[in-house]
Amino acid sequence: MVSIAEPVAKSASRYRFILDQRGVLGSVMVAPAILYVLLLVGLPFLLAVYYSVSAYTIYDPTWRFVGLSNFRQIVNNSVFQETLANTFLFTFGSQFLGLVLGKFGALLLMRPFPGRKIVRALIILPWAVPIALATVAWEWMFDSLYSVINWTLISLGIITRSEAPNWLGNPHLAMLCVIVVNAWRFFPFAVVIFLAGMTSIPQDVIDAATVDGAGFWRRNYQIVLPMILPIVAVGLIFGIVFTFTDLSIVFLLTNGGPVGATSVLGFEGFQVGIVSGDVSHGAAISLFMLPVLFFVVIGMLRFIRRREI
Amino acid sequence: MNTPSRVTRRRLLKDTGLALLAAGSAPVLSTPFISRAMADTKTLSIVQWSHFVPAYDKWFDNFARDWGTKNHIEVTVDHIPVADVAARAAAEASAGSGHDLFGWNGAGGAHLYRKFLVDVTDLVESVEKKYGKITVIGRQIGYNQDDKTWSAFPDYYINFPVMYRKSLWDGIGVVPDTWDNVRIGGAKLKQKGNPVGISLGHSNDPNTTWRGLLWSYGGAFQDESGKHVVLDSKETVEAVKFVAALYKEAMTEDVLSWSDASNNQYIDSGVSSLIINPISAYRTAQQLNKKVADDIFVMKPPKGPVRQIMGGAAEFYGIWKFAKNKEAALEFLKYYADNWVDAFKASSGYNNPIFANIVPKPMPLLSDDPTSTPHDKLSVLQTSDEWSAVPGYPGPAWPATDEIYNNFIVCDMMAKAATGAMTAEQAVKWAAQQCEGIFDKWLHRA
Repeated sequence: MVSIAEPVAKSASRYRFILDQRGVLGSVMVAPAILYVLLLVGLPFLLAVYYSVSAYTIYDPTWRFVGLSNFRQIVNNSVFQETLANTFLFTFGSQFLGLVLGKFGALLLMRPFPGRKIVRALIILPWAVPIALATVAWEWMFDSLYSVINWTLISLGIITRSEAPNWLGNPHLAMLCVIVVNAWRFFPFAVVIFLAGMTSIPQDVIDAATVDGAGFWRRNYQIVLPMILPIVAVGLIFGIVFTFTDLSIVFLLTNGGPVGATSVLGFEGFQVGIVSGDVSHGAAISLFMLPVLFFVVIGMLRFIRRREI
Repeated sequence: MNTPSRVTRRRLLKDTGLALLAAGSAPVLSTPFISRAMADTKTLSIVQWSHFVPAYDKWFDNFARDWGTKNHIEVTVDHIPVADVAARAAAEASAGSGHDLFGWNGAGGAHLYRKFLVDVTDLVESVEKKYGKITVIGRQIGYNQDDKTWSAFPDYYINFPVMYRKSLWDGIGVVPDTWDNVRIGGAKLKQKGNPVGISLGHSNDPNTTWRGLLWSYGGAFQDESGKHVVLDSKETVEAVKFVAALYKEAMTEDVLSWSDASNNQYIDSGVSSLIINPISAYRTAQQLNKKVADDIFVMKPPKGPVRQIMGGAAEFYGIWKFAKNKEAALEFLKYYADNWVDAFKASSGYNNPIFANIVPKPMPLLSDDPTSTPHDKLSVLQTSDEWSAVPGYPGPAWPATDEIYNNFIVCDMMAKAATGAMTAEQAVKWAAQQCEGIFDKWLHRA
């Protein structure tokens, strides 16, 4: 008779016992991410909130509490009011343009054509190119002396030198320019979002609509668009948040000019808080974005929940 | 046969833990060796803007390195774009860590960061004793009137003379030596396709030039004490009306979008008849377009009804209180001051002296520049300390004047009237209100 040795049970360490618990291990794994968010997002945010209600400047780094007086002062300033209006125009103008271009780009890229894969890859370029580099190129295109756009229009005989638009010198055109550059930057993201949404629609639905007599526009606006709206809304949330808080394009292209026509909250906050050293007012200007973004994001998330299929 | 071992949760944790432990302990184990090596080498780190004359940066880097070699100090010099200087200073002050020696350009710095900077009064006074009295513009940089101390070492200032195309102005028989002549002659030359080019955009050049015009008309945005805003005056309204006329008659709307490089390109390309700019525009023309460069002449800023004056940009070095090697920074500045003539030559006469005799007159290059025709073309720049002032003039530079500068309020006041967005009176009221708001804010905190 063969006797089988009994396995000797190892004594389980307390350490092993704790980590073998699913809940504990999960918490341990997630902890670094939470810690990261708390330290690098939460703490600076709380610091910014406190700066905005204090008298803190680089000249006099005091933490004296001043209540909402910083907010009162900036709200009563006509330059701030203009800046706030510019920020909305810049954000929603560039998002709208980016979405329209993204939709058409996605429609074109859905159709098979030779080199489609290369075009799909190339279309990501505006998103991948560093913004400082891209803005230098745009600055050259809009330059008052060497504008490539004006040079082309003049060469083609469409306009004369005296009729050439002063892209960055005219307040309305300058705003249009920063909107166009931001839309150009956002457009690849919009294309990807639309492509992802459109490819996820079952072909049966489109075929059924076609059989029922729905034409191109009807299919697009009554079938495709409502079905992909939740995913487009998520993309739009990202676009709005990033654009509303952005200062790079304005800083690099117009420096807020001409006559403050393109100044946006991010740029104004940077100029006042960092360049001029008035940290408390700079923080107050920057925090003004928070309630706006909060309501926009909540509104859009509620909309997405209702539209979920 | 070896079977691939299964990765269990326990094994993953164990292996990861060991890897992290090894990575974490590496610096601890190597510290004694590294710290000994570091103790043998002292360091000095310097940060400053990328100079408009690239040859100056090359000279400075070699100069600093040579000094370091002689003194067994490892010197590093970082050059950053001029637009990044303010943000870098804020980052270093907030972190309480960064370079030892910080070189500021333009408005801000010495006053704003006063509490973060080492008092360099002894250094400035010893250099003054050796190289002569500090000029008026020099005293406006880094000097604290309240307690008579220096929070920064005043290095140099950049002047803004008139640069004009002599052949064009001779052709119409007008000398652009007064603001009125600039307008009258500029209008004639604009008709011929050679407008005046003074920026009305958001950058340093217009901030400096339009202040000069404002002062030459008897206006200013603060009084001598620096406690009161005095912008809303008859003189300011006249100055603004003049700018509106100058814009309409002698300039094109291009100027509304210009950066600091645009007016340089405008005259170097042969289009413009007159700009107001440091001599970098002329030096660039010498390299790009010799014919135009030979035709560009330099003169003092135009006279206004009250005075002849122009804004200048201040350059200064501060030593952070948190600097790791304050002594080396002080020693370096002393040595630098003793070799300031070389710095002046390396900048091609772009850096203007703060101390009366640090570059004895006749100054090299400016009095006799072998690259210019005639050789004394730049000689008028030797007197620029008589007609240059920093942004706070006639009062001191302080955080409020810096914020007015950074918010482009004087530029926008001029541009609003020039483009017809506001009348001259409305533009002045708007600007005065903005200045009042900034003064109120800073006076309560200063």
